[in-house]
Amino acid sequence: MISSDRSGVLEGGSTGERRPLFSRLFVDDSRRTFAVIVGVILALLVLPPILILIQQSLVHTSTGGEIIEVTLDHYRRLLDDPRLPQSTWNTFVFALGSTIISLLMGGVLAWLVERTNAPFKRLAYATTIISMGTPYVLYVIAWLFLLGRAGPVNDLYRSLSGSFGVLIDVNSMWGKILIEGFLWSPLVFLLLASTFRAANADMEEAARMSGASVFDTVWRISIRLAWPAILALSLFVFIRAIEAFDVPALVGTPGRVNVLTTEIYYSTKLVPPDLGHASSFSVILLVIVAVLFYFYSRISKNAERYHSVTGKGYRPRLFDLGSGRWAAGAFVLLNFLVVLVLPLAALLWRSLLPYLQGFRLSALQNLTFDNYATVLGASYYLEYAWNTILVGAGAATAIMVLTAIAGWIAARRGPGAVILDQLATIPLIFPGIVLGVAVMQIYLRVPLPIYGTLWILFVAYTIRYMPYGMRYVYSGVLQIHRELEESAEVAGASSVTALRRIVAPLLSPALVSGWLFIFLLATKELSIAILLSSPDSQVMAVAMFDLWVNGQSGELAAFGLVWTVVMTLVATAFFAWARSKGQDVFGS
Amino acid sequence: MLEVRNLTKIFANSYDQLAGGIRNASFSLPSGTFFTLLGPSGCGKTTTLRCIAGLERPDSGYVGVEDRVLFDSERNISVPMNLRQIGMVFQSYAIWPHMTVFENVAFPLRVSKQRKYSSEEIGKLVNEALETVELGGYGERPATKLSGGQQQRVALARAIVGHPKLLLLDEPLSNLDAALREEMRIELKRLQRQIGITTVYVTHDQAEALAMSDRIAVIDRGHIVQLAEPKQIYFRPANEFVARFIGSTNLFTGRAEDSVAANSLGTVRLTDGSAVRCVFPAGATAGEEVTISIRPESIVLAPDGVPVSGDHDVLKGTVQAASFLGSSIRYEVEVNGETVKAMSPPDTSFDPGERVQLTFPPTSVVAVERSSDRAAA
Repeated sequence: MISSDRSGVLEGGSTGERRPLFSRLFVDDSRRTFAVIVGVILALLVLPPILILIQQSLVHTSTGGEIIEVTLDHYRRLLDDPRLPQSTWNTFVFALGSTIISLLMGGVLAWLVERTNAPFKRLAYATTIISMGTPYVLYVIAWLFLLGRAGPVNDLYRSLSGSFGVLIDVNSMWGKILIEGFLWSPLVFLLLASTFRAANADMEEAARMSGASVFDTVWRISIRLAWPAILALSLFVFIRAIEAFDVPALVGTPGRVNVLTTEIYYSTKLVPPDLGHASSFSVILLVIVAVLFYFYSRISKNAERYHSVTGKGYRPRLFDLGSGRWAAGAFVLLNFLVVLVLPLAALLWRSLLPYLQGFRLSALQNLTFDNYATVLGASYYLEYAWNTILVGAGAATAIMVLTAIAGWIAARRGPGAVILDQLATIPLIFPGIVLGVAVMQIYLRVPLPIYGTLWILFVAYTIRYMPYGMRYVYSGVLQIHRELEESAEVAGASSVTALRRIVAPLLSPALVSGWLFIFLLATKELSIAILLSSPDSQVMAVAMFDLWVNGQSGELAAFGLVWTVVMTLVATAFFAWARSKGQDVFGS
Repeated sequence: MLEVRNLTKIFANSYDQLAGGIRNASFSLPSGTFFTLLGPSGCGKTTTLRCIAGLERPDSGYVGVEDRVLFDSERNISVPMNLRQIGMVFQSYAIWPHMTVFENVAFPLRVSKQRKYSSEEIGKLVNEALETVELGGYGERPATKLSGGQQQRVALARAIVGHPKLLLLDEPLSNLDAALREEMRIELKRLQRQIGITTVYVTHDQAEALAMSDRIAVIDRGHIVQLAEPKQIYFRPANEFVARFIGSTNLFTGRAEDSVAANSLGTVRLTDGSAVRCVFPAGATAGEEVTISIRPESIVLAPDGVPVSGDHDVLKGTVQAASFLGSSIRYEVEVNGETVKAMSPPDTSFDPGERVQLTFPPTSVVAVERSSDRAAA
């Protein structure tokens, strides 16, 4: 009797869970309405870019944009072009090299800071916060100052060795790899630090109690347990490096070292623009990234397998490095100097001089604030800054509103959960430059007068950063116990009221963190903006790029530093907020 | 054997100035003892265990196993935890998920600094250990494919595989469900007897402690307040805290009528004027204020007016509530404004409002030292 009763209950429950999608769609009216509205908006944002790229890669068009014929010519031309294997290989080497460098630097740093008694730990976080506020363009340019032919590093080398050559050719593949590696190491640090922090210290203590030395414990237990997370992160950085535009465009061009993203960029800059070529290139890049993301999602699912129940809230015991403590401290300090102090110092130096000079005492007599005076005096710099903030804040707000609903429905397995989740996650596979090409072509065609205005940037950014918003909201909702919502509904609230009065307030830490994170990313964006912004809708990163191309590096350095100070304040607010609310800084 | 002397380790909380940790803990255990550190959470029992293990460095004190000094603040000796040769089971079991059961258990042998084990030896010792915990044949299973109870057994096998002199168990049963906990309690005790290993067990569960231990140290706010055998702890609690924490009890305050020698009966005049005889483990002087403890199961209820045998003492009261528990009935009786709990056989029947007599033998009543104001347990 009892057992049959129980199985009856269980069966009832499980059929309830497995009801097919279409019948669930009619269960809850208000939720369904929400799901449909948000789903339609997401689909309208996310799907056209893919479709237009595929379409444009398969047609010849007249200069007026009318389709002349359907053809495989673009692909044929691409495959015959000897540059394709070359730039694919370059992309691969570049991505792999910079992944390894950022992983070594960021990973070792994260372990030292989170799991040992190494000194100077705060410096590592300071580095991360400030580098989150620094636009990539500016950072890359700082390294070009440092490692350039006339820069201090080669300068020093020449005066020490007496030769006329260079120690590092910054325009080579090595130069690019190094700079991209430095660029990513703070994020690697941040993500692995949270992995190491969340690690169950009992696992390591059990190894120590079993007789293992520090080295044995790290090698046989700590690294093995973190391995899936490390692997997933490596693939993530690798994908991001494949999509990278800033570094290859700024560093690679003089050396004629092209990667896939710069190939696409230059074919749009031809006169007339070869959009068919750019589209077919984009489709290929899209496929590569999509395949890699498929593996990424498999690996990161695997990474959660090792998440285990932690015991009581003991602070993880830190490894005592003994006399190695100071060597570890030196590493933390060196990282701080290389990743943060050197580039910023180079920018400061450049901003205070009328023209490019090496680090020499004799240059001190030329020190001037002219560049700052120009930057602060010119109204267009203020306009660039205002444009950037406006678009960044607008996109962040739109995304958080959309994903608050989509993420809530997805996390609660509401109507259309799977579809909403996938729609919001699709943009992950768009490299910025590809999305730029796609959005450009869409709004050249549709009769919506937003081409050349800030609105087109707003749309593109909203698409591009949607997955991050989704990620913050989704994990935020999972942290809110479902019964909190259910009890509101039992108490008589409609599910909309429950969302508004219960979920939204509890979700606000995740929403604010997500907003700030997206804002910080969007204000740095170069690869989309470089294709979509016009002289009337100039944003900061593009302005910096132009200044660099025009050789106005003094103004650029001054402008960049002022901007970095402001954005560092935002980044600091972000970290402080995330910390006080117990949010993970990357929404996981 | 395990020898701990004046072990002190204090954690100061920066936010509320309350200091946690353990102060001046001393105990000496003969080989093979099952010893339990018992107390509410935050009392310092786990700190004590971690100091013995070497996971925390004590502020001062001495720890030795057999003839080997593991920690001595006076001689500045502190053996690193990985050289202490102590087996330990963690509350979360800490089974490494990237290894098989066999590799988990073999780990202590593989990393041993004391001696190198050949692979045949490792195979033999690991299988022995797995047999001991009744997991023979599970060696090749991935650690992630184990139930909670099996993980517990693997953790145990790993702790004993190298034949350590001392086994430390940190609330090992607290993550198991009730039925499994009962089973593992018996199993753990059997194992400990079989191997004959000196064991230190940490728990906040008094029933677990009473059922398993040879000796129990009850810890309150960093101090060992009583160290004795389970029966002694239960029937002769050293103070109010122990009486409340172990089992359930009724406490009354009053004054000693005459001076009483240690471990003999004396009479106490309760605040309501009635007189009750009780055992004074520490003796008392005339007029001294005392607290007495009467266990609910020592009280026999009788209808009002029924004559009571002379060797029992009597209090009178009114039944307030009765809860039928199956094997017994729990009554709440109001005695001069205070609620007294009494456990009676299931066939008794007194109704709320009924006048009753509470009778109990004086030997089951014990005077306990008063604890300071904080509400115990």
